[in-house]
Amino acid sequence: MNLMANILINVIIAFLAGSLLLGLHRKIMARVQKRPGPPIVQNLIHSLKFFFKETAIPKTVSKVFYIGITFILALIWVVGVIAGPVAKDSLLILFGVYAVYKIVEHNSGSSSGSPYGKLSCVRAVLSAATELPLFAAIVFVYLITGTMNIGEIIAYQSAHGPLIFTIPLAAVMFFMLIITKSPYSPFAITKDKALISGFETEHFGLLRGFMHFSEAIAWYVMLWVFLTIFFGPLNAVGYLIGMIAITFITAFINATTPIFSPNHSVMTQITIGAICFFGTIVMIFTGVVA
Amino acid sequence: MDSQKSLCIILLVLSTIAILACLVINLEAWIVYDVAIFCIPLWVLSLGLLTMAKPAPEDEEERVKEPFTGY
Repeated sequence: MNLMANILINVIIAFLAGSLLLGLHRKIMARVQKRPGPPIVQNLIHSLKFFFKETAIPKTVSKVFYIGITFILALIWVVGVIAGPVAKDSLLILFGVYAVYKIVEHNSGSSSGSPYGKLSCVRAVLSAATELPLFAAIVFVYLITGTMNIGEIIAYQSAHGPLIFTIPLAAVMFFMLIITKSPYSPFAITKDKALISGFETEHFGLLRGFMHFSEAIAWYVMLWVFLTIFFGPLNAVGYLIGMIAITFITAFINATTPIFSPNHSVMTQITIGAICFFGTIVMIFTGVVA
Repeated sequence: MDSQKSLCIILLVLSTIAILACLVINLEAWIVYDVAIFCIPLWVLSLGLLTMAKPAPEDEEERVKEPFTGY
């Protein structure tokens, strides 16, 4: 298949599947809380609807920065689609994508001129604590498989079995990242409702729709990477079941957990990360990991 | 026609041409990656800037003074 056609198809699938999964996430959260909740397609409809809504640029923003940051958000997740589902390239590129995502959260808040956005921008720095467990998880994947290349990690798992059984605590660390980035997460200190919509507060209308587009792709890519590096070679049905299962689990956790205060959020993430990190090292040295 | 609208039309046309060129011609992978990374978000953003509704002139001042700003 033509490379550009392959990229376009994967970006469209990521957007549609990501939007529907986020809609499902919202629906499950509502049902757990005994509310009817919106239809599953609502998230997708919202994203498209915002493109036709009235949009004005607030006086206090830095215009180029304010629009440019939404462009960078979309750009990095298109890179995520290319490095992941399309090229199955290095995990380090995806780690870089996630690191830039943090910078986008930070700068989106600071470009807005809103005090809520700025407070969220400060919290984005704190929430970078999730990058440490993510980096540790990637290091363990490298130590076991001897490669950072996603295609080679898939090949390793087809020969030796899924990594979830070899380094389960590394998978827990990665899963914590997914919980952190899921909507209404207990670790979502940048979008705490005390901050209205956090770093997105002043991005409304078209720009909010554009951010929804990127976040739907982000959700799809993160789930795809988790399933690929810990559950081995999967077919389309395997990915579908896996993504729905993870969405269900994160929705259940988020529906039953309040948002932590920033210091509790960071300490909880670092504590879970440290336990999983040292646990995996113990497993390696005691020979539990082959 | 204001400058923002003109710029959006130019960017939309350029990104469409670049994407179509990569679909039709078999270019080297790094060129296709570059075009995809920059032109797909640009296409969506420039299309959105053209399709978005704008506030009526009498409401514009009120819209740009958002309730959350100016603290």
